[in-house]
Amino acid sequence: MQCDGSELAFRDNGMKNFARRALFTIGAFVSLAVLSFLGIDALPGDGCTALLGRFGTEAKIAECRVEHQLNDPVIVRLGSWASDVVQGDLGYSIKRDEQVAQIILPRIRNTAMLALVAAIMAFPTAIAAGLLIGRFPRSRIGKAINTMGVVAMTLPEFVIATVLWLVFSIWIPIFPGVTVVPSNATFMELLPHIWMPALTLASVVFAHSMRTMKAGVTTIQAMPFVESARLRGTKERVTLLRHILPAALPPVVNTIAVDAAWLLTGTFVTEAIFNYRGLGRLTIDAISDRDTAVILPIVLFSLGAYLTMSLIADTVVRLLDPRLRQHRS
Amino acid sequence: MLAACGRATTVTGVLRVANDAGFGGAETMDPYDGNRTWPTINMVFDRLIGVDKDFSPIPELALSWTSNEELNEWTLVLREGVLFHDGSEFNADDVVYSINRMIDPEFDSPVRAVLGVIESVEAIDNYTVKLSLSTGEADLPSLLADYRALMTPVDSQETIGRAPIGTGPFRMETFDPEGTTVLVANENYFFGKPELSKIEIITFADSQSAAQALAGDQVDLLLAIDGKSSSIFGDTSKYTLQTIPSGDWNAIDFRVDRKPFDDARVRKALRIAADRQVIADTVLGVGGGVPACDTPVWTADPYRWDGPCAKDTEGAKALLAEAGFPDGIDIDIYTSDVEVHMVELVEAYQQQVKDAGIRVTIKMADASGFWDDVWMKESAFVDSWGQRPAAQVLNEVYRSTAAWNPTGQVDKALDAMLDDARSTKDLAQRKQKYIAVQQHIFENSGIFLPYHKTLTRVMSSKVQGIDPIVIDAVRWERISVS
Repeated sequence: MQCDGSELAFRDNGMKNFARRALFTIGAFVSLAVLSFLGIDALPGDGCTALLGRFGTEAKIAECRVEHQLNDPVIVRLGSWASDVVQGDLGYSIKRDEQVAQIILPRIRNTAMLALVAAIMAFPTAIAAGLLIGRFPRSRIGKAINTMGVVAMTLPEFVIATVLWLVFSIWIPIFPGVTVVPSNATFMELLPHIWMPALTLASVVFAHSMRTMKAGVTTIQAMPFVESARLRGTKERVTLLRHILPAALPPVVNTIAVDAAWLLTGTFVTEAIFNYRGLGRLTIDAISDRDTAVILPIVLFSLGAYLTMSLIADTVVRLLDPRLRQHRS
Repeated sequence: MLAACGRATTVTGVLRVANDAGFGGAETMDPYDGNRTWPTINMVFDRLIGVDKDFSPIPELALSWTSNEELNEWTLVLREGVLFHDGSEFNADDVVYSINRMIDPEFDSPVRAVLGVIESVEAIDNYTVKLSLSTGEADLPSLLADYRALMTPVDSQETIGRAPIGTGPFRMETFDPEGTTVLVANENYFFGKPELSKIEIITFADSQSAAQALAGDQVDLLLAIDGKSSSIFGDTSKYTLQTIPSGDWNAIDFRVDRKPFDDARVRKALRIAADRQVIADTVLGVGGGVPACDTPVWTADPYRWDGPCAKDTEGAKALLAEAGFPDGIDIDIYTSDVEVHMVELVEAYQQQVKDAGIRVTIKMADASGFWDDVWMKESAFVDSWGQRPAAQVLNEVYRSTAAWNPTGQVDKALDAMLDDARSTKDLAQRKQKYIAVQQHIFENSGIFLPYHKTLTRVMSSKVQGIDPIVIDAVRWERISVS
């Protein structure tokens, strides 16, 4: 993200950057798809053994393999899958006897909703808490929040989930304990079931960005420009929000990007505990079913989530850091 | 969708059942398919013959049944005026269609293992059918009471998986095997209008979250919980716990076509060296199972043989010495966590038999390929079967020609004893013959079968009308929620 003197050079560099990035992204998608396809293929069993289960006779499995073209060489199957995907057809799940798009789109929506609610719970509060704890390191409330955040971060999700369930579903029954609505339920039907898993996920990620923020604030506060602002008589609130906050944010944005991608892709345990019908459970089932057609879009979605988040983070950091945008007109 | 909002609900007449995700999305309502979703199929369809609380056959869609002297021709008289959920009338054509699908070798339904003795079925008139069998089978009525031997309308094969039409107490409103399946009462049910207005079957991939849902009043009924976690529901004012003896069993199978298991003395030594009660208590928890003397016939079955089969370390040593292993024997047993209890069983067995000089090495196999690559293929491996009536399980697992005879044992004497027993008309005589079969198995078989499992079921105390019997015998129309 370096740039030399002229605006033209910057734009040029930006284009080059963008092109390099786009190329890298496409390369990553393609190689990951190929690797996943080959990896799943190398596992014992296939879609037909998963469908027919324990009592699938050899004749029936052979018949099923012919029907679903599983006897073709792996490279042929990969090619035909890829050409279907390019034409917008995600394919068909042997095990579930259903179009893949119909299976995974509601799950992606549910996981995205959960991630969004968890992100709204975790990140703004983490930034505010980190700012205050960094600014007032001796405050008791600050210390308490810091300790709680670290404890929550180190506890496994199933412990947090069980405690939350016990408190908010059994002792003070304000939230339903597990999700009992179908995967294609409307937003309003799903909403009451989202709070507990979201709170669990939020507690896991909260401390990461809070502590990054706190460390940033501690460092920035000691810098000469903060001292000079104070000496000029700038109000403390303005110093904190206008000077310290923007300077401390860039590393936090990167932490948040990684955590946000995790919220979209790493929620297996939490989803299982709360019976939340998102991507997590589907992924586990699909892998044990060797359901290539379902696994591949999920793998690519995960990759997409990480790439998108890091792209957003870079952009936000660029906007925040005046040194990176000084050449903009 | 009031009850589905998940808050504590006071709506009556809705039963919310937690169900597992056993087939991971491949569930179908076709009762003859291997991926049939259970017990939903039993709410939507009826059998010809049901089972009473004592497991004796009772009329369901058939009012009466008689056989010829050789027991190989059975005539069933059907109930008249029964309507399917779409308003069409149930008659003999539907029976012919249903049974033909069950026994179709091309479709190869798992039900064929039960009713494969039926060679042909023919409609005599609108309400009479005749079944012709390949052999005499005195227990055909019990076999027809299999929970999957359900009656489906003519030409329903294509649609039945997702849009089932049955005659049962509930009809399908929404089929969502990975989410919530909704059934509504069939007001015209021939056994009377159901007490409930609706049944919701809610899927849980994880048994812990299902237990959470019951504790949080989001479901009313868990069909089975791990006996070890039943203490959570100890509050009798809120929950009803039922322990139900079942016919489910685990086993360790030794291939009789491989050394050293080709020697009957070795096989018997391997089986008598272990204390079955201790194994049942260790693997299933105290009270979690009933010991069995290598018989697959379960405790409530009229043909059950109870032993004796106490642990006999000295006897096992002597048999091994006689077979040429005076210093004991080393064996590998394959297991996997493909199902619960399968790893614990081999561990408990290993401890039990070491006194007799049997040194077991446990081989862990990957769960995903277990049934394809290990079961019936290695020399010794764990096994797991669901409940079946005696006539079925003995023929399905032990007969020399059975497709899933897991030890590969060819025993013509046993086959002859089975044929003789099933075609004996007198109940007392038949029972003697089936007991002789089980004693023969205890002496010769390669299957170490230490216990039948006891299931634990738990429900909200608001639920009434579920007797402490296996779910196949539950009458769904009589259940109510107050």
